[in-house]
Amino acid sequence: MITKTDVEQIAWLACIELDEEDMQAFTIQFNAILEYFEELEDIEAEPIEEEERNVLRADEVTASLTQQEALANAPRVENGYFRGPRIL
Amino acid sequence: MSHREHVEESLDAIRRSKLNAFITVDYEGARRQAEEADAGELDGRLAGIPIAIKDAISTKGLRTTCASKMLEDYVPPYDAFVVKKLREEGAVIIGKTNMDEFSMGTSTETSFFGPCKNPWDLERVPGGSSGGSAAAVAAREADLALGSDTGGSIRCPASFCGVVGLKPTYGRVSRSGLVSYGNSMEQIGPIARTVEACATLFEVIAGYDPLDSTSRDVPVPHYVARLTDEIAGLEVGVPQDFFGEGVDPVVENATWEAIAVLESLGVHVKETSMPNLKYALSAYYVQAMSEASSNLARYSGIIYGHRVQKDHDWHTTFSENRASGFGKEVKRRILLGTYALSAGYYDKYYLKAREARALISRDFQRVFKQFDALIAPTMPYVAFKIGEKIEDPLSLYKVDINTVPINLANVPSLSVPCGRKGRLPIGMQIIGDQFNEQLLFNIAFQFEQNTNNTCAL
Repeated sequence: MITKTDVEQIAWLACIELDEEDMQAFTIQFNAILEYFEELEDIEAEPIEEEERNVLRADEVTASLTQQEALANAPRVENGYFRGPRIL
Repeated sequence: MSHREHVEESLDAIRRSKLNAFITVDYEGARRQAEEADAGELDGRLAGIPIAIKDAISTKGLRTTCASKMLEDYVPPYDAFVVKKLREEGAVIIGKTNMDEFSMGTSTETSFFGPCKNPWDLERVPGGSSGGSAAAVAAREADLALGSDTGGSIRCPASFCGVVGLKPTYGRVSRSGLVSYGNSMEQIGPIARTVEACATLFEVIAGYDPLDSTSRDVPVPHYVARLTDEIAGLEVGVPQDFFGEGVDPVVENATWEAIAVLESLGVHVKETSMPNLKYALSAYYVQAMSEASSNLARYSGIIYGHRVQKDHDWHTTFSENRASGFGKEVKRRILLGTYALSAGYYDKYYLKAREARALISRDFQRVFKQFDALIAPTMPYVAFKIGEKIEDPLSLYKVDINTVPINLANVPSLSVPCGRKGRLPIGMQIIGDQFNEQLLFNIAFQFEQNTNNTCAL
């Protein structure tokens, strides 16, 4: 059972501010969805054969975006840099 | 007819359309490319053909929004691998199609730009998440389209709109330039009105790309040249697990009638079962949400994307940018994924989902020792009404019951029209073993030639 406080904590972890209305609705919906997922508990643990493999390549310098292209979509730019929020 | 005239027909259809299939239409670029094709400056297998591209696929200089407020003004500085391939073959890119926000949905209702409508009934959904791509092709607003399929997002709208759509083998098509959602399961794939057109587009976009480390270096066959290959003698399995509770009897009958057509063409058909498919929906959603929570962490509103007016500290600024940039379904999936990956719940949800995925893959490996292909209804029913399911997320997730197992097993599946309920199209999927798309095209082609289900308006 997930509570509204749990949803608030998850939202903080995920960096998404939720309003009261969403928090209420999500709490109800998450409980229904997570209850459905509980069927996975029946699965007997079996070792997973890992199909993933590392794909490596030589570290060669190639043409990339220009500074102008890289900054073109940034909402705030200053002196050729991305402008972030203040730290202190 | 000149390419310019042909492209103008598409643009006219878009201008008159009530479907909302496009988010961005490149009138000027499309006309210029068509004129280049007429002047002989563009040649190739798709010269002068108008193609629509799902708005999750990057197009250099052409806005790519993922149907999200977060990327409302985002203009990619590069082309996706598949878009480069299309340009090399002379295709005319006419615009970017509507979709569920960040591909998260089954109805194209979660788009920030408003829902897309089904061309056969404007009160119904076109399916999703690549709903705009399938609707545009069905309504002749484009000849071809690209979609992407993480848990059914090409096959569902192909089924609901009466067109042909392929979810390729994982690794067959490069994901470079596709905006990531559930990256261990998604593939870009073709949507067309006929099997031949679908195979033609697939032949262009398939292939190895060093920029996608999951792309596989396997030669691309000449699918179109071998389209007419004999299908008599093939062994086809019909897993009963795809005909479970909730499948509309009309859809079930249409699928069996289609199977009877294949039998009349010499295909051997036998029923089979895949017991672990019962875990597919949970396994898919846990894994997709977990991957989404990680993939969408990049949207902070600093380097690109939506940013609120006033800055605070980092955490508050990010949280506000993401709160106002993402829609409800995207938030739901990021939050549930964050939960499934968090300490104490990882073993209960994510690890179990991975185990379920392994079991499901083994079910597929086992049946493909016995059968060349499988046949099943793509969707349990025909297109539902706009607004019918959107308020209850779990009921909407359950719509994907027959499509998600294919993504979990990394195998290809081709959805083709196989009948109707009233005016509304019904689709069946032909599922094959990894890298066996050729066989799917061959079966679908013979079926198409011997029936009259082509649904385009």
